[in-house]
Amino acid sequence: MNDNKNEILTDLLFAKAAYGLTPEETQQLAELEADVNDTSIEMTLAAFSAAHFSDKPEAMPEALRSKILAGADQFFGAEADDRTTDLQPTFTLEPPARTPLTSWLGWAVAALAVAALTTNLYLTQFRPEPQVAGNPPIEQTKPKTPTEMRNELMSSAPDLEKATWSAGKMPDVSGVSGDVIWSDKQQAGYMRLKGLPANDPKKEQYQLWIYEENQGEKTPIDGGVFDVAENGEIIIPIDAKLQAKNPKMFAITIEKPGGVVVSKGEKVAAIAKPDLNPET
Amino acid sequence: MDQTILNRIANGDRSAVQECLDTYGGLVWSIARKLLRNSADSEDAVQDVFIDIWKNAGRFDADQASETTFIAMIARRRIIDRIRSMNRRISADSLEDIVYEPTSSGDKTIQVSVEAKEAAAALKDLRPEQLQVLQLSIIEGFSHQEIADATGMPLGTVKTHARRGILAARDLLGLNNGEPYKEVSV
Repeated sequence: MNDNKNEILTDLLFAKAAYGLTPEETQQLAELEADVNDTSIEMTLAAFSAAHFSDKPEAMPEALRSKILAGADQFFGAEADDRTTDLQPTFTLEPPARTPLTSWLGWAVAALAVAALTTNLYLTQFRPEPQVAGNPPIEQTKPKTPTEMRNELMSSAPDLEKATWSAGKMPDVSGVSGDVIWSDKQQAGYMRLKGLPANDPKKEQYQLWIYEENQGEKTPIDGGVFDVAENGEIIIPIDAKLQAKNPKMFAITIEKPGGVVVSKGEKVAAIAKPDLNPET
Repeated sequence: MDQTILNRIANGDRSAVQECLDTYGGLVWSIARKLLRNSADSEDAVQDVFIDIWKNAGRFDADQASETTFIAMIARRRIIDRIRSMNRRISADSLEDIVYEPTSSGDKTIQVSVEAKEAAAALKDLRPEQLQVLQLSIIEGFSHQEIADATGMPLGTVKTHARRGILAARDLLGLNNGEPYKEVSV
């Protein structure tokens, strides 16, 4: 295979693992007569992904964990039942013939068993796993509130940069207040906002932009999309899509649902420039 | 050699199921949350991922990849399939998702961290622009065009960084053994 074909093949294998292929790309991959079972590129993407989350993986919600465990019980229970069935002797004693009454009782017992199972599944979604003999209970991590996480960053980041929100370029969004904090070292930050009008996420959403040194003024970094459900104070973690260095300004724009890659800057709801003397 | 968690699951060791969740639950959840950006979709996807993991545990071969990589690969496949079936790339974050974004899971992910941190250290040898393009495409799910728009790089440059970056990463992680890895049907 020549270099050009190799490049196309690598591009297609990358696209397959990163986004999935369109029917046209699938056809193109097949036409390259490549060994499409070679998953070394896909494995690399997976390893890259795992490496990225190795520092700070998010804790799985407890209710979800319980659902998965319940699902595993059903999955392995079914497998075990299959194995048990396989091990059954090929001859069995014939059960006594059922009378209508015993038949009805059988159905009633089965219905009760189903009800008990349903109740159990329902309860396991909301209750911690019961302690199993021999297995010590797993200490659960209670998710911290945004306020706690913000306080934690403020107390742990000596390089913290702080900026105060002020109104942007929209006359009907004038009462914005609050602040934004950011740590270059931890690549983490939080917005504390008050006075942003509630938005309808189906029509538009707020999006944060970070103007900093690495990308320059023309290409601010996407800091994440968020919604405001009420006019009270909200604290929102910053989700910078690129590494931000020494932010010069933060801006919140109103964009289409899901946000945009590049903002036209037509609706700037709020702006924050770093304070000269940040008070932490 | 000690049996891996997946080997134990394949052998019907039920205690390994909880251990698998403790060790890899945070990783799978993090991948789903980042790509799907929506808690409800992520919860459904993660349940599907773990069913796939139970089903495919017997196919894991420690000589081909680490357990972490194998699980991340199953997770990404299932989640990307889901995104494509929903005919979208990235959904909007809801307020609930952002405000109640959970914190790191600490000690429960020690095993992932050891393996994955070694990989993270190896990947530091990538060129910064390659690392940037790979992060945006693999972690954030941005298309090459979106990366070009966001960074100001020409599209061709983005594609080159992605291609050379992933090949360099494959070498750095020792995954280019010249032998095709067995396809996992999930």
